[in-house]
Amino acid sequence: MKRTLPALIGHVAIILAVIIVMGTLGVIASGVTAEGSEKFTGELERNVTLRILENDTAKEQGYLKELLDAFNREYSDYGIVAVDANMDQYTDLETGGPYGYGPDVLYQANDALMKYVDGTRKHILPIPVEELDCYEHISKNAWDAYKVTIDNQDFYCGVPVNIQQPLLYYRKDLLPENWQEKWDDDKNGVPDMIENWTDLYRYSQLIRQQSNGAKYGYMKSLNDGYFASGYFFSYGGYVFGGEDKKDTADIGFSKNDGYLGGKIIRQLASVMNLECTEDTITKNSYSRMAQGAYFATMTTPDVYTMFIKEMVYAGYTEEYARENLVMTNVPRLPVSGDLEDESQGFKDMTVMGGVNGYAISSYTKAPNAALAFVNFATSYKMINRRAELLGISPARGDLAHELGGLNADINANLVNGTIYVMPSVRALAQVWTPLQTFCAVLADDSLTGKNVYVTDDALKKGIANVDNQIYAAIHTLGGA
Amino acid sequence: MNEARAKVVKAKTKKVLNILITYCILIVVAFIFFFPCLWLILASFSKSGSIYSFDGFFPVEYGLDAFKTLFTDTVMYNYPQWFKNTLFIACMSCILGTVLTILTAYCMSRFRFKSRKAMMKTTLVLGMFPSFMGTIAVYLMMTQFNLINQHWGLILIYSAQAPMGYMVQKGFFDTIPYSIDEAARIDGASNFTVFVKFILPLSKPILVYTALTAFTWPWSDFILPKMLLIDRDYYTVAVGLMTLGETEFARFAAGSIFIAIPIIVLYFCLVKYMINGMAAGAVKE
Amino acid sequence: MKAVAKCKNFFKGLPGKFRAVPGKLSARFAGAKEILTQGNGKVTASMLVMGLGQLLYKQWAKGIMYLFVQVAFIVYFILTGAYDLFGFFTLGLREGNAWYGIEGDNSVVMLIMGILAILIIIFYAAIYISNIKDVYRIQCAKDTLKNPVSFRQEAAALLDKSFHKTALALPVAGVCVFSIMPIVFMIFIAFTNYGGKVVPPALVSWVGLENFGKILTLGQFAPTFFKIFGWNMLWAVLSTAINYLAGLGLALLLNKACVKAKAIWRAFPILAYAIPGFITLLGFKFMFSYGGPINYYIKLAGGEAVGFLGLDAKWTARFIGLAVNAWISIPSTMLLATGILSNVNTDLYEAARVDGASAWKQFIKITLPYVLFATTPVLISQFIGNFNNFGIFYFLRGGLDMDGYFLASDTDLLINWLYRMSIDNNYYSIGAAISLIIFIITSIISLTVYVLSPSYKQEETFR
Repeated sequence: MKRTLPALIGHVAIILAVIIVMGTLGVIASGVTAEGSEKFTGELERNVTLRILENDTAKEQGYLKELLDAFNREYSDYGIVAVDANMDQYTDLETGGPYGYGPDVLYQANDALMKYVDGTRKHILPIPVEELDCYEHISKNAWDAYKVTIDNQDFYCGVPVNIQQPLLYYRKDLLPENWQEKWDDDKNGVPDMIENWTDLYRYSQLIRQQSNGAKYGYMKSLNDGYFASGYFFSYGGYVFGGEDKKDTADIGFSKNDGYLGGKIIRQLASVMNLECTEDTITKNSYSRMAQGAYFATMTTPDVYTMFIKEMVYAGYTEEYARENLVMTNVPRLPVSGDLEDESQGFKDMTVMGGVNGYAISSYTKAPNAALAFVNFATSYKMINRRAELLGISPARGDLAHELGGLNADINANLVNGTIYVMPSVRALAQVWTPLQTFCAVLADDSLTGKNVYVTDDALKKGIANVDNQIYAAIHTLGGA
Repeated sequence: MNEARAKVVKAKTKKVLNILITYCILIVVAFIFFFPCLWLILASFSKSGSIYSFDGFFPVEYGLDAFKTLFTDTVMYNYPQWFKNTLFIACMSCILGTVLTILTAYCMSRFRFKSRKAMMKTTLVLGMFPSFMGTIAVYLMMTQFNLINQHWGLILIYSAQAPMGYMVQKGFFDTIPYSIDEAARIDGASNFTVFVKFILPLSKPILVYTALTAFTWPWSDFILPKMLLIDRDYYTVAVGLMTLGETEFARFAAGSIFIAIPIIVLYFCLVKYMINGMAAGAVKE
Repeated sequence: MKAVAKCKNFFKGLPGKFRAVPGKLSARFAGAKEILTQGNGKVTASMLVMGLGQLLYKQWAKGIMYLFVQVAFIVYFILTGAYDLFGFFTLGLREGNAWYGIEGDNSVVMLIMGILAILIIIFYAAIYISNIKDVYRIQCAKDTLKNPVSFRQEAAALLDKSFHKTALALPVAGVCVFSIMPIVFMIFIAFTNYGGKVVPPALVSWVGLENFGKILTLGQFAPTFFKIFGWNMLWAVLSTAINYLAGLGLALLLNKACVKAKAIWRAFPILAYAIPGFITLLGFKFMFSYGGPINYYIKLAGGEAVGFLGLDAKWTARFIGLAVNAWISIPSTMLLATGILSNVNTDLYEAARVDGASAWKQFIKITLPYVLFATTPVLISQFIGNFNNFGIFYFLRGGLDMDGYFLASDTDLLINWLYRMSIDNNYYSIGAAISLIIFIITSIISLTVYVLSPSYKQEETFR
């Protein structure tokens, strides 16, 4: 005992000493505050490889390759090489980035990108946007989608490339032959059913009746919150309140006359079938439209080629398909909030949309080269090519006006506010399930004749309940 | 005479009836299991990509386009590469996982040591923890070990976690009479020799079962590879298929069928060991 | 009744078990005391520096190995170990700012590396003790003038007497790192504020029992919890029973002598087994949807489309969940049962047939006890698997928030609810706290069942 115990204690003491000394040293070392520095020095890094994350369509249609080739040719003197990051288009920078596994430049939707800058999260860099060639050609609303305010200072963390908004797709060849006489009250040469929801609703009823339920007019999964939320917005509803639309304590689908949106959804359901309570219609619309079973649907512009592909499968020539499958701005809604009452006239529909763009990862080793890439990719030449190949509607105003037509319309929608830009808040993820469930309940209520939500009061209550559910989902556990 | 004959006839009808009912049930069971698979197979031969150009369960038009694009159109969806990756990961994890599981089960069944019961209870209880909560930790560890985006990282995890499921194999070893071990040990064989020379040959059915499950798990797992593999060319089939677009159903179905093939082949190769694993008489005391 | 009695016995036995604890402990300490008092100089040397005593006894290989362990341990601690261990308590001190290239501490990584450091310390302590025991054994051998066990002999024993040590080393290490560590990590997370806005680069800190307090004071929490828990239990019991009995039944059916071409018949379930679960689930979801093939035929026959998984389809959806789960799980149970059945002693059946026992009697008296014995642990792990079955209702009926439930639908299991509340929302610490609570409840249930089961109690039956 005399010698053994001290030996044992000695051993433990040595180990403890090592731990304490080294541990304290480590803590002291980490206590020294490191000096940070601005990343964009304007000096291009040489001999670096940039990994670019683009979306699938850009890759599929060959645009990405063109872009990379053009950039690499331009910057070969500096040894800068841009390559395809070859990752999933929805890759979350937060999981891989901090550990060195993320891309250097990424192209995603504004809500996805701005999730990376939230509170202490700073996964993408603030970009000196004034230095970019595209700066003055892009509208303020588009830039605002990427704005973040920290300590009263505004930062822009992304560069807008294109504007995403739901559009009405319809088959021109399925219009009634006599539409010019019967379905063009204002004689402006545009069929009424694609101008306002009231006539689209009436025409849908007619088709359903005449075909004995085999064919439909307007069809869309009504439970899809992204598209359904537009009806609420149009009557004053909103997702988050506050000046910057980011106040998650104020949830407002039921605010103002938002409940009228619910009324529209119920009425639209009545010209569809129960498939509108699930995602079936969204998925089958490509082939059903091609077969002529649906007259119209609403979706984003990036899937145009899928409709064409299905129409070719269905036996049409591609030329015929492109001629007769038309994308157009969404119809106008009745002011009254009742599809059967157009006495008060119509107003523009507000839809949920987004701005897709480029951002630079905070973990890139070559921020200046990445900035050069973003500048190159948002140049007039490249965006023009992008619009040509991918059919996007550019955020660059100069190009949008030059291209005209729908592109100019969409750009105008963003400027005048009929696009409700998806709030760039993490809590947005909590909105969908309650909203989606309630929209399905509304559609089901109308189609199965339960008629619980017929009165305005019942509707108001139901939607207020959705607001409460969303609030609970966001705040119950967070406490903030 | 008559009575005896009646008895024979009765026994015969009973036997025939027995066979008849057995086969009826078998046909129903086979149908239940086969039908959804048949549906998937038919879907893969659909000419249109969309599942909605079907008449109920049957495609409107048949064609081989889905298989053609599956193997030739590799710019976006490099199926052949994914297939190779999956095969590599599954084979390696199968070999390592089986070895580790069998060793664990054998030890737990045959040896009596201090911490044994505690270990058995711990492993049982650990399975109750919701697995997705632990995946965060696994991911972080892999970033620290620099094993993200590498197939060996996955293999390491699959084989390291495999012994957690040793219970089945232990149950099997428990039913092999101890007399076999004793006899061998009297002949001077070491525990290692007993295991390799005497127990293993008797354990073919459970070896096959273990190998099959150890192979199938990585083969069809989706969560781990989705988390750990970043580069598209490193994907496994399960992850890759999930990235396919909505209108690519036929391709999705074709890809799914190809995932199933190796397991079916493996089954037909191994099935005879499984059924006749214990040579008659080996167990008898 | 029997089970109740068993339970009673179990609890009766408990005090005895506790009483036994001090005895066991003192027995342990007696060994340590003996070494401490009787150990000679060389034992002391090993206590100070691992392996030194062995070297002094001229046991070179072992001595060097022990010495190497100590050196490696100290080097690890100098390089990162000490800092990792401190990090476990501080969870980081410097907040990073990626905009200006300031690298900060990643609290979560620090937590996990800290746990690893603790694991390594425990592992080291175990080796240290074995080192002392080993050198004391040599001393005892020398004292009684015997030759101490040579290194070669000890190495040989690793394949014989202590074969289990050799064989279990790798699996145990693997399970510790990849199964136990993550769980320990999540348990610790339950006592931090990790999640929501507090994710790296923000610094996480320890908050004690705050998360549990938050859960208990949540008004909406309890009613939904009990509703979901009730259904979860029912689901776990039903699906386990269905899968087990059907799998066993199928295996027996295919084992019948009159069935020809068994391999072919067996291949059908295998086909189902071969298709990954998530593909099957997506397929079934489509099959039962309003626009799916089943409703296509219903409509063709002039009927009204049925919402099998729709809003009001509580019990239909639950039933479909059970059926789909059975479709997925029965093949593997069948495979297992086939393997186990091939091992039944056929003599027993022959004897039974001679005695004139009916097929049903044979099943009840011979097959079932045997199979149950071999598969109780499997049954329990299947129960656990079903209890925590995330995929079924996530794929079949995800994305619904029902009235009367707090952020859940009437088919959701606890694990789906947990996912919705914590992971979807990034509230990891709350999620970990809830799963800890669920974990404790379920593990008590399953441990009790396991300890009372014949395959645990009468493990030696077939020896």
